[in-house]
Amino acid sequence: MNRRSFFKLSWGTVGVGALVSALGVSFAAILRFLKPNVFYEPPQAFKIGTPGDFPFGAPTFLVEEKIFIFRDREKGFSAASAVCTHLGCTVAHFQSDQKFHCPCHGSVFGADGAAQHGPAPRALDWFEVTLARDGQLRVDKDKVVPSSYRLMV
Amino acid sequence: MERRLQQTFFALSILALALIVAAAWQANTPSWKTFQHNYLQLEAQAEPNAITKAAVLATPPEIHQVMLTGLQRVDRCTTCHLGVEDPTMKDAPEPFRYHQGLGPHIPSKFGCTICHGGQGLATDTAGAHGNVEFWPNPLLAKDYIRASCGRCHKEGEVPGVPELTEGRHLFETQGCRGCHKLNGVGGSIGPDLTSEGANHRAPEWLEKHFLTPNAVSAGSAMPNFHFTKDQARALTYYMLSLTSEDMGSFYSSVRLIPGPVYGRQLFDEKNCIACHNIGGVGAKTGPDLLGVTGKHSPEWLDEQLVNPELVYPGSSMPVYDLDVNSRKALIAFLTTATAEDAQLILSKKTRSLTPADIAIEAGKQDFARFGCVGCHGTELQGGVPNPNAQGGEVPSLLHVSDDYTKDEVIAVIRNGRVPPMDNPAGAAPPLYMPAWKHVLSDEDINRIADYLWSKQQKKASADAW
Amino acid sequence: MNLFREIWQSIVRRDPLSTDKGKSELVFLNVWLHIHPAKVKKENMKFRHSFYLGFITFFLFLILVTTGIVLMVYYRPFPPQAYQDMKDLEFVVFMGPFLRGMHRWAAHGMVVCVFLHMCRVFYTGSYKKPRQFNWVVGVFLFLLTLGLSFTGYLLPWDQLAYWAITVGSNIGSYAPLVGGQLREWLLGGHSVGEAALVRFYVLHVAVLPAAMILFTIVHFWRVRKDGGLSRPIWKLAPPKAAPLVTIGAPAASAAPLKASAASSTKTYGLMEVVTGKPIFETITPEEEEDTVFSYPYAFVREAVALMVTVTGIMMMSLFFHAPLEELANPAKTPNPAKAPWYFLGLQELVSHSAMLGGVVAPALMVLALLAIPYIDRNPSRRPSDRKWAIWLFTLFVVINLVLIVVGTFFRGPGWALVPPWVHVVGGAE
Repeated sequence: MNRRSFFKLSWGTVGVGALVSALGVSFAAILRFLKPNVFYEPPQAFKIGTPGDFPFGAPTFLVEEKIFIFRDREKGFSAASAVCTHLGCTVAHFQSDQKFHCPCHGSVFGADGAAQHGPAPRALDWFEVTLARDGQLRVDKDKVVPSSYRLMV
Repeated sequence: MERRLQQTFFALSILALALIVAAAWQANTPSWKTFQHNYLQLEAQAEPNAITKAAVLATPPEIHQVMLTGLQRVDRCTTCHLGVEDPTMKDAPEPFRYHQGLGPHIPSKFGCTICHGGQGLATDTAGAHGNVEFWPNPLLAKDYIRASCGRCHKEGEVPGVPELTEGRHLFETQGCRGCHKLNGVGGSIGPDLTSEGANHRAPEWLEKHFLTPNAVSAGSAMPNFHFTKDQARALTYYMLSLTSEDMGSFYSSVRLIPGPVYGRQLFDEKNCIACHNIGGVGAKTGPDLLGVTGKHSPEWLDEQLVNPELVYPGSSMPVYDLDVNSRKALIAFLTTATAEDAQLILSKKTRSLTPADIAIEAGKQDFARFGCVGCHGTELQGGVPNPNAQGGEVPSLLHVSDDYTKDEVIAVIRNGRVPPMDNPAGAAPPLYMPAWKHVLSDEDINRIADYLWSKQQKKASADAW
Repeated sequence: MNLFREIWQSIVRRDPLSTDKGKSELVFLNVWLHIHPAKVKKENMKFRHSFYLGFITFFLFLILVTTGIVLMVYYRPFPPQAYQDMKDLEFVVFMGPFLRGMHRWAAHGMVVCVFLHMCRVFYTGSYKKPRQFNWVVGVFLFLLTLGLSFTGYLLPWDQLAYWAITVGSNIGSYAPLVGGQLREWLLGGHSVGEAALVRFYVLHVAVLPAAMILFTIVHFWRVRKDGGLSRPIWKLAPPKAAPLVTIGAPAASAAPLKASAASSTKTYGLMEVVTGKPIFETITPEEEEDTVFSYPYAFVREAVALMVTVTGIMMMSLFFHAPLEELANPAKTPNPAKAPWYFLGLQELVSHSAMLGGVVAPALMVLALLAIPYIDRNPSRRPSDRKWAIWLFTLFVVINLVLIVVGTFFRGPGWALVPPWVHVVGGAE
């Protein structure tokens, strides 16, 4: 290999390498560009108010967040997802039988969220409820907990 | 030549790579990430052990965004102001400090810019604080932030912001509406003030303008009302609050805190004591109001304030233009009112009023409410400078019956009048009498004329009645 | 291993690039490259002949399409969300300012380059027979470029956009009879508002780009069919040149068209033998000697032009932010309110006479441009033979530039003549 061809080789290699990397980085940058940095939707973790805002007995349904907040005199707070595990319809909670009913395909979930009838493949999710430092209840939909989870206030 | 071109191409490829990497690097190192990093270190300090410390420090950086559809805002201030809702950050350095005294106005429900101004969408310090070109709404100076309370609390009294109440009171009593429209009612000599707060005028400008209108707005037709500094501040607060923004129901439902203090003020202002008495103290024309809230339901009292004749046929009580929360405030006052209150209110009045005075009182209310006092003065004294009008100022109305009949005056109020010019070749006088027939009913106009005639100096008063 | 080789060879069917056949096949067996001839005239590739302005314009268009498509993802064409989306691009979207900047600067660059390209084609007389119609296509491409730039100008929905479009669309409304209708038709209302934004958006991302692509295809096809790039004027044959002696596609075949016996080492492809004289420029045997293979000679030059364009736009975007003013406010007109810069010449004329600037001047300009190849019947492309044409066109260019410069830099509040070095304080109040 003489000097001339070495020169050609190194220029070529570096140049082609730079070209390919520039294309690669540009492509990766565009993919990254398309990944949103902010979401225009309700946050996954949110405050729902002070414990006093919630009645005992019948659950409070939060429309935008699609969750049921249960408050039990002895056991405390828990939050159930209102999204059916079958195809994502919003379930209703019937006070009469203490069960969740999905209007789409007739799935029925027990009081603990377990799937009892219909096509639903698994139980409803329960989310972590915590008490924030400012005294408000905070639900985090990213943290799924067992149905026995309760927050005592 | 060919080799040179090939080398140029490769060199340009390297340059392109460098540029795209530089752009990506720039995009990946925004200043807010540094703030979040510093905050995490602050939080980690408070953690008891290494594991939780590491967990805190591992929190990935992200933009925090409060979506306020009701306020048509998106605020990202909490991307850097991370401790605003965390009481343990009470003594943290800015921008991480806890925001004390928020009450129910937590940032996750109200955002920040609705009170503070600034650019909620921005994620860098200068942009977010709005001190940049092309952002007309920078952070409000500390002295003026409380004016923002009036954007939601549009009526009544806001605890801790007496300026707003005072500003609104001044606006309604100093005759501002004579020249300025507010929410569709008022004159057209000056600018419409319905969304003055959205014009993003500097508060300092407004305050100076109220003290000396000509100082900041050369050739302004606005008379100098000789406001005190406090009054100018109060009016500035009121102007800043007038954004005519559409607040969602969540924010507008609590716009008033109706309380007995405001009710008492209204009771005094509307001169209720002229007809009523409390526990025997006051006039006997109307019923005693002591314990009236025990006798009637709040709904009944509310209806009585809206439509006196409907509830109580033949009632001689005038109709007062009170909004729902002012009525609530009045009723709140009546639950606590005692004879002592009446005594205190009465001690400021020189004499009790006769029923005949009541009609005149209504005329006086109109005269103030529709802004006549702005030019003609609260005592009909006139004297507001009006260059190139005959006499150079707005005439006094204390001698109007010398030159006009009552019908002529009514015609002037109905149709308006351009004052005769001192120098016919000069510029038209800035102030003129607007036509009121489209705004005021004939009844209102007659009452105003009655009021004028009641105030005529001795010589003319003979034919007034 | 053989399978991979077979797959590769099914995709790339040409001979190795070290052979002449391979170099030719690279071009005409490839759908993307075969717009090139297999061989090009050396002199035609000289920078000082074309300045590569056509290529640069096309590359800018490619940048605009690429960045435009990705920017669309974060854009909602409704006020005031459109403005909020601009702020999101600026503050939260990864590389948002960079891509928006590239789109903006490439758009301005394209208006400039397409105009310069037109000037180059005029001065080299390249619109003359047989290229008359391609000049007309080019004028339409110029108008489409202005249309794309103008419709894109409104999309950020800031004060700059709103008032530039208000003023710009009002210039058009001076047209007699149809002016007002035209404006309503374009804006979907009597003033720039929600309807106008959606219409401009549709024009900007669908209608005009589609038209642009169609016209570009025709333009490129014509360049090729009219005999490739015109010869540089310094290579023009002396007047009364020898008559043309050969027929056939100019360079579709790599073979020199000599009246020699068919060589066993060369292949010939002729669809059909027809009689008659070709309309396009043909090649003389002497010129044939002067050609080189497109690979690599033409391609490397184009690649350099592409990289210069891309890196140039990237640098612009990295160092200069695309402007974004306050949210559009129909109640507050900035003083002075200016149309986009390329229409400021017209606005300048409108300020003197609405009829002249709004109707007569633009209509005459477009008509004159379209008619140039049919009015100028002088067949010679030598500058010395066409002094009048060059003088007239230069006058046209200079007047336009002067008007634009005056409108851009010398007009202050109230459209008063203010030199740019006099700083106007508080012009908006």
